[in-house]
Amino acid sequence: MSWLQAGAWLRRRAENVAAGLLAAMFLAFVIQIVFRYGFNFPVGWASELTVATWLWLVLFGSAFVLSEKEEIRFDLIYSAVGPRVRIGMAIASALALVVLYGASLKASFDYVSFMKVEKASYLKIRMDWMYSIYVIFLVAIIARYAWLLSRLLRGRDPEVGDVTKVSSGL
Amino acid sequence: MSIAFTLCLLAIVALSLLGLPIGHAMITGSVLYLWVKGIDLGIAAEQLLNGMYSSYLLLAIPLFILAAEFMNSGSIMDRLLRFCNALVGRWRGGLAHVNVVQSIIFAGMSGSALADAASSGKVMQSLMTRDGKYTPAFAAALTAVSSVIGPIIPPSIPMVLYALISDTSIAYLFLGGVIPGLLLGGVQMGLIAAAAKKRNFPVEAAVPLRELPRVTWEAFPALMMPVILFGLLYSGVTTPTEAAAAAAAYSLLVSAILYRSVSWGNVYKSLLGSARITISIGMLIAGALVFNYVVTVENVPKTVAAMFKAYELSPFTFMLLANIILLILGCFLEGTTILLVIVPVMLPTAAALGIDLVHFGVVVVVNIMIGLVTPPYGLLLFMMVKIGDVSLTELVKEVLPFLWVMLGALALMTLIPEIVLFLPKLFGYKG
Repeated sequence: MSWLQAGAWLRRRAENVAAGLLAAMFLAFVIQIVFRYGFNFPVGWASELTVATWLWLVLFGSAFVLSEKEEIRFDLIYSAVGPRVRIGMAIASALALVVLYGASLKASFDYVSFMKVEKASYLKIRMDWMYSIYVIFLVAIIARYAWLLSRLLRGRDPEVGDVTKVSSGL
Repeated sequence: MSIAFTLCLLAIVALSLLGLPIGHAMITGSVLYLWVKGIDLGIAAEQLLNGMYSSYLLLAIPLFILAAEFMNSGSIMDRLLRFCNALVGRWRGGLAHVNVVQSIIFAGMSGSALADAASSGKVMQSLMTRDGKYTPAFAAALTAVSSVIGPIIPPSIPMVLYALISDTSIAYLFLGGVIPGLLLGGVQMGLIAAAAKKRNFPVEAAVPLRELPRVTWEAFPALMMPVILFGLLYSGVTTPTEAAAAAAAYSLLVSAILYRSVSWGNVYKSLLGSARITISIGMLIAGALVFNYVVTVENVPKTVAAMFKAYELSPFTFMLLANIILLILGCFLEGTTILLVIVPVMLPTAAALGIDLVHFGVVVVVNIMIGLVTPPYGLLLFMMVKIGDVSLTELVKEVLPFLWVMLGALALMTLIPEIVLFLPKLFGYKG
């Protein structure tokens, strides 16, 4: 299996996780509604689970599922300029992101690990575990942009977004 | 305004212009602010995580998206189109009217204009341009402008976002959107009727009236969706988020059991598709949460409110000004960003001037939706350029007449709050 195939395989597994998280959120809601209105028996864990899946879905998905093409960006200028200018623009923005996300990594890790003093009220999960996805997200995004940066510096034209694939839900 | 804040704003604008995804641009700029100010950089993490974790209302967004995707995965679109065709196909310019009516009905199931255009765009385009009935540019323009109605008639994703930032009732916002949505559909159909003679639009073979009950019956479960949603919301039985979940469950059941058109593969596709949109919009929300912390620390909304107060604006002038600012921004910016970043700055002023926040909210949402079809930057335009395979210039030329009448409708609902507030008040909104 080549690196490319391995990457595609991993991406599909990441998609499985994202779809699974949304399915879990949906099912938790259905359970919550059935128990509360059907049996007059509120289930707190279900509503906590829905919020947890939402947080994880967004951060996990942003790190591992969304491709460069699907990101919501202001690409009026980005897609209109020639490849050389675009590479320059992408280098500048990727550099800024890597530096500033990198600078916030230690402090973010500290905040997340400090949250071990709290626990989710129903699920009994320690909040540092709950919030750990943010650190994973930061590391993954930094790695991704560092990788993009190395490609850009070798003169590879970055991908331009595909508008039919972009949706901000509006 | 501190130097750090100026730097932060400059960084966000510059990074966005350079093509960095907007969510990341907002987080990066905000981290820069914390850095320059010498504040703990972990605050970015704290704001983002706590904000996302505590915003239960936002969960309605993935659920509404999911409901629309489930509805779409079946044969529902075909049934709806047959129903619309039986209703208005017999008029001159029949298919053009069908396009609008379809959008109005679909608006009752979906909260997203882009989703509406993506799902019905291809079908409408091929139906309308077959045998040269309509020009591709006109068909694409019509799909773009009629999709605008989607999030104005409930459910509505931008209204969920507005409810979050303004602390207004989502149920009353939803009700407030009904008449404005129908009004927009009405002016569009009026324009089509006016153009039909001049441009010699074709008439479709009339569906005999005795067919109407059968066609309606076939589309009935789909037509019931908004009714169920409203029932749950206004009986106060469920929370808005639970109502969204029930809507998703209903559409899954309808597609699977009544229309027998859902396979496991389709369910997975719907889940993944909804997850992708959720992630995109979630990142914008995450970025806005971090940036709004900066805005609050800098006291921007209060400063702006004080500034407006110094000018002694009347509520009417403020509404006019807000509309103009939002429309201009809508020509250049992505709508969710405007809603999450610019509108919060306007809210304290609106409240101080005694403007009804439900009225303001609906006007803002209509405005932002119109922004999706205003050049040069309009996501619906870009999408229809691709789907309809037309040039942006041709498309914009056909969009413009619709844009003018929609702006007229927007002016009406700005001037006459009752257009928005009539239904909410009927259902007990005190204002």
